[in-house]
Amino acid sequence: MLLLANLEKRHATAARPLFSGLALTVAAGEIVALVGESGVGKSTLLNCIAGLENADSGSIRIGPQAVDIAKLDESARAALRARNIGFVFQAFHVLPTLTVAQNIAVPLLLCGVPAKEHGRRTRALLERVGLSGFGPRWPASLSGGELQRVAIARALIHQPALILADEPTGNLDPRTAHEILALLLERVREQDVSALVVTHSQQVASCCDRILTLTPDGLS
Amino acid sequence: MRRRTFLSAPLLLPALTLAAPARAPIAYPAVGAGVRLAFPRDHGAHPDFRSEWWYVTGALDSPQADTGFQLTFFRSRPGTAEALQSPIAARQILFAHAALTVPGERLLHAERARLLHAERAARANLGAGFSIVDCDVHIGAWRMSREDRRSGELFRLQMQSPQFSYDFTLTPSQPLLLQGDGGYSRKGNGPELASYYVSWPQLQVDGTLIVDGKRQVASGRAWFDHEWSTAILDGLAVGWDWLGVNLDGGGALMAFRMRDARRATLFAHATWRDAEGRVRQFDAADVSFTPLRNWSSARSGASYPVQMEIRIGELTLRTRPVLDDQELSASRPTAVVYWEGLVHVEGSLSGRGYLEMTGYAGRLRL
Amino acid sequence: MITAGNRSALGTLAWWLIRAQFRSRRAATLLSMLAIGLGVALGYAIHLINDAALADFARAMKSVQGDPDAVIAARDSAGSVPLADINQLARDPAVLVVAPVIETRVRIDDSPIPVSLIGLDVFSAAAVMPQLMPRHDDRAVLDNIFAGGVYASPTLLERLGLRPGDALTLVRGEQRWRTTISGDLPATHPDEQLLVADIAWVQQRFGPAEAVSEGRVRLAPDADLSTWRTTLAQRLPAGLLIRAADDDSARLSNLSRAYRVNLNVLALVALLTGAFLVFATQLTAVAQRSTQFALLGVLGLSPRMRLLQVLLEGLAIGLPGSLLGLSLGYILAVAFTQLLGGDLGGGYFSDSAPLIVPALVPALAFLALGCLASLTGAFYPAYLNRTQALAQALTSGFSQRPAAIVASPSRLALPALLALAAFALAQLPPLFELPLAGYATIALVLAAGIASAPLLTQTMFGWLSERPLPAPQRIALQNVAQAPLMAQVAASGLIVSFALTASMVIMVSSFRVAVDHWLDHVLPAPLYLRSKATPLPQPLLDALATPDAPFARIERMATASLTLDPRRPKVALLVRELERDNPAARLPFTGPVLTPPVAMPLVWISEPMHEIYRVGAGETLRLPLLGREVDVFVGGVWRDYARQFGAVVISRDDYLSLGGDFQPTDLALWPLPGQQSVAVAWLAPPIERYGLELADSAAIRELSLSIFDKSFAVTYALEAAAMLIGLFGLAVTLAASVWLRARELATLAALGFDRRMLSTAVMLEGALIAGVGLLIGLGCGVAIGSVLTHVVNPQAFHWRMPLAIPWPMVVAGAAITLAAAVLASRYAARQATRLAVAQVLASAQ
Repeated sequence: MLLLANLEKRHATAARPLFSGLALTVAAGEIVALVGESGVGKSTLLNCIAGLENADSGSIRIGPQAVDIAKLDESARAALRARNIGFVFQAFHVLPTLTVAQNIAVPLLLCGVPAKEHGRRTRALLERVGLSGFGPRWPASLSGGELQRVAIARALIHQPALILADEPTGNLDPRTAHEILALLLERVREQDVSALVVTHSQQVASCCDRILTLTPDGLS
Repeated sequence: MRRRTFLSAPLLLPALTLAAPARAPIAYPAVGAGVRLAFPRDHGAHPDFRSEWWYVTGALDSPQADTGFQLTFFRSRPGTAEALQSPIAARQILFAHAALTVPGERLLHAERARLLHAERAARANLGAGFSIVDCDVHIGAWRMSREDRRSGELFRLQMQSPQFSYDFTLTPSQPLLLQGDGGYSRKGNGPELASYYVSWPQLQVDGTLIVDGKRQVASGRAWFDHEWSTAILDGLAVGWDWLGVNLDGGGALMAFRMRDARRATLFAHATWRDAEGRVRQFDAADVSFTPLRNWSSARSGASYPVQMEIRIGELTLRTRPVLDDQELSASRPTAVVYWEGLVHVEGSLSGRGYLEMTGYAGRLRL
Repeated sequence: MITAGNRSALGTLAWWLIRAQFRSRRAATLLSMLAIGLGVALGYAIHLINDAALADFARAMKSVQGDPDAVIAARDSAGSVPLADINQLARDPAVLVVAPVIETRVRIDDSPIPVSLIGLDVFSAAAVMPQLMPRHDDRAVLDNIFAGGVYASPTLLERLGLRPGDALTLVRGEQRWRTTISGDLPATHPDEQLLVADIAWVQQRFGPAEAVSEGRVRLAPDADLSTWRTTLAQRLPAGLLIRAADDDSARLSNLSRAYRVNLNVLALVALLTGAFLVFATQLTAVAQRSTQFALLGVLGLSPRMRLLQVLLEGLAIGLPGSLLGLSLGYILAVAFTQLLGGDLGGGYFSDSAPLIVPALVPALAFLALGCLASLTGAFYPAYLNRTQALAQALTSGFSQRPAAIVASPSRLALPALLALAAFALAQLPPLFELPLAGYATIALVLAAGIASAPLLTQTMFGWLSERPLPAPQRIALQNVAQAPLMAQVAASGLIVSFALTASMVIMVSSFRVAVDHWLDHVLPAPLYLRSKATPLPQPLLDALATPDAPFARIERMATASLTLDPRRPKVALLVRELERDNPAARLPFTGPVLTPPVAMPLVWISEPMHEIYRVGAGETLRLPLLGREVDVFVGGVWRDYARQFGAVVISRDDYLSLGGDFQPTDLALWPLPGQQSVAVAWLAPPIERYGLELADSAAIRELSLSIFDKSFAVTYALEAAAMLIGLFGLAVTLAASVWLRARELATLAALGFDRRMLSTAVMLEGALIAGVGLLIGLGCGVAIGSVLTHVVNPQAFHWRMPLAIPWPMVVAGAAITLAAAVLASRYAARQATRLAVAQVLASAQ
């Protein structure tokens, strides 16, 4: 689950805060779409939730223990991300120098699961995302849709409490986009995870449980 | 005569052998009767003769009773390098040997009795030297010398080694004892087998003894011998037994015999000076050595009659060593194994002295 | 919280990344490894060779000297230790035994090669030098060693083809000793060629009378060497010295220390270039993978691990590189010792090839050094990786943060400060007798050069790029001016390598020019005749004095050596026939030539002597001459490149008036005009007969210069290696910067740049960076060359020389390097033009 309270973020140069007094609760198993105009601060909000940027005030509680990521130091944030957050990006960000199976296993390694325990879990998940037998392949030989499936598998493998997806279908053709979105939502619901999906696409937003719009005045 | 393997052994160094001389043998002076010895001149060296030694044996009463010590300087003129003018030509070789018999410590410290020894060798004028006018012979810092002091004459012994060192003065309590016929001492069945032999028994020992780094004040009694000769060993002899005793009450006794291969006596002689200064000489017929108990060395395998009965005229004496294992192995001038150590003498006369037994660990080569 | 499982999981991830890195950057990684390996190999090889050479030297010394606790010897090689002193020493209770020896060199049956004859006393020798103990042979004619035979080492017997019992004649100058071989020396080293005889026989035949060469002392086990030595030193006669075993090792290490340190610094240079290459490789690796690392960071890789990962990758280069270096070093050491001997052609030790024995601890130390170098190289990239802003890097890649490197007046301060510090350091005297401050100066000069690179780049190219120029050129200029970090990395490799190479070239060339001039001055005569270690035979000297001899002029010289300090190598004493009033006719003085204010002996000292013992012209020097201490006036300092440990020249007249015995060993000969060949023919019979050496000045000169060149062979090899590494660094960084600017280049391509234009732009960029690097490198090179010539050389080797810059060579080197740099950037350009424009533009976001 995700719990934001009274969140405020300013830009060093701008007089007006990017957002302030922001509050949001995403329950376990709930999928929330975040929409809004470009530059309104969707990505910044996402970065703040992931602990990649510092919010100026407020709290961000993540996971079953509801740890406030805003109060942690850099290393602890990294550890919290490793255990509790799964990421899906518009640009896929699959490591080209690791095989598909290795890419998916990276979060497991970051959680401290030794490599010999990976095989079954990665194989099962590859099957669930429709990539059976893709494990030993190199990312360079995969299509965009396939890469995003790999990314989804990677986001889910360590059973995080929260999935953060930033335009997950932005680089895909509409047909593939639809498939991928369906897959993501299906897997998220299946694992009872909270998810926050940033998107410009109405189609994507409409598939989510709840749609929030970020405006300079706040969330609605 | 005497003892020490030096004189019988050819000059043999680890790195060279001495073959029979290829050139004409050098003429050594002969030893003959009727020479009047003069002192202190005759305490000095007689470099023309083939061999010579100054020999001090003694028994200490402190720091520990029955501590035996011995210091010998041996001079040899091997007949080599005689034609060289170089001052360091090897015409005169000096050897020195020192030994210390340490009896077992007191009961509480159950330390075992042991025999320590050390040796040195050098040629004269190159780290060693001797005087021809008085007793003063040294190799490095080892030295035996005679001095005249206001209180009288005395000898000084100085030696150092890693295990033991001593610095003693020997003060005479009696006059010199000229062995044989005024110092002419026969060693075999021929007039040419003889030496000039001067003894000085009953010398009072004082000084410092260092054993295992422990410095202690020492005192005791010693016996001084000085002997020079050119030829002494009978061709049949394989070794000898020799005994020199400072008798309780002030007397002195010297006895020796030459043995052949069957351990039979080839020649023997004894001298007894009683406390009143009366001297008696005993010829071979009156001197006998009879083994009572043998001790076998595990090192050399030799068996030595460490307890002997010695009959000298009407006297019967028995030897009892303070330590059975007083077997020595000298590496210079040649590797020779023999027994030499402090013994108690009991019987008709009693006292302490040094017993030397050679030729038991194989024949001494000539 | 890090658990064991956690660690092993993170280890797996690290290993995957390292493997991936090696797979994708095979060439760069391998070359970095090679560079580190080269540095380790050179350092290790030098260590091995020197160790082996010193051990060999020590062994050779031990085999003729034994293993005494101390040695009493004359300070003047012509002197000796009186017997009385030996005998007095022997009576010291602290002395267990003093073994006197007489050492001399003799020729056997007129063979031209002299061998050592050691006269010893078997009674004392056994305790101090057991390896010299003779073994009497049954075939010997004489009874024993005292009867006068000699004993030869088995090698010598074999060489001479002699057996025990055979007769031979030993010749030393006029003295001849006809003797026989009585046996051998079974314990001598197989290399040793020497004779042993009884000391009295050697004394009788060859002297010295009433004295010996030296006394070798074994102390009593409970004696304290230093106290004993101090006490003895106080009562020792002035002409004698006491030398302990540690003096021998100190002297031994003094003998080779300067050349050793210099070679080690060269190895360090290789190691530093290796570290630089790791830096370039890792920096580009970090830049290229910044998105990947950012992703891992977002996924939860801790900042510490991001730092560690890059360091680990550096170590993954350094460790195999170092291991490679160790084995390469061993091979090099073996090969070099076989080819050049233990001193790498330096001429300090004997010609024999020493045995290379690697030990564990130094090997581990060099392994650690290699790893340390690569870790050092990886540190800054690792730090950059640690501090990358994750979100930004994930979307837009590596940030060079140009904001941090803007041109400002304060940026001029750093290089200026460094240059000032370098100048100050260059003025410092040697530390521990080593030119450490000089080395620090060199490091600072390099640092100043590197620090000035971005400033120069931006100023120069920023200004240039504002000129109206064709588009590709402009773009290249702008790239260089605006991406200073990559440009600096690429340029600094060239700065370092070119500066070092140029400086070595300058130093070696200055040295060679100076040696050349010096040879002109010290070889005035057409012919030189020399006897090997024994005085020249009198009949020859007599014959030369007759009118029949075809010579216009003859100058005689006698050589000896003096020990001024037992911890230092001996100083040569040259007794020469020269005019007291005009020594400058024969000696190349470096300063004023003075005459003594009062009547006193006059000497002229060599430059090394002046530097080592800190004595100058006009001062009074106390010399241990002829068994006593003599105050002499120093009339001048002359240049000498032959005797590194110092030399003193005294006129024959002064030497004779001091009571010396003038026994010439060398002759300078001026044949009658036009009769050089007659003169050579005239000399042939005595040369043959006495085993002398004749050389004409041209041959000596040629030999001297060839020895000089040989001793710098390693230097040339290193220069080449440094240049290659520098060029490679340029290629790697250029390629990386192209890769980083893929999007920009692709945009240009999309805007209508064709491949040729792109290629031209990249090559031009490479040429511009190389140009800056070479320019700064040249400046630094001249500066470092001056430091080497004026600071390091006088401090390490105690000789000075004028700076002579071989401009044609340096400029040609720069031009070749520039051409090579353009070639290297072609490699980068090819990568640029191969980028698939559409794919780059599409995938970059």
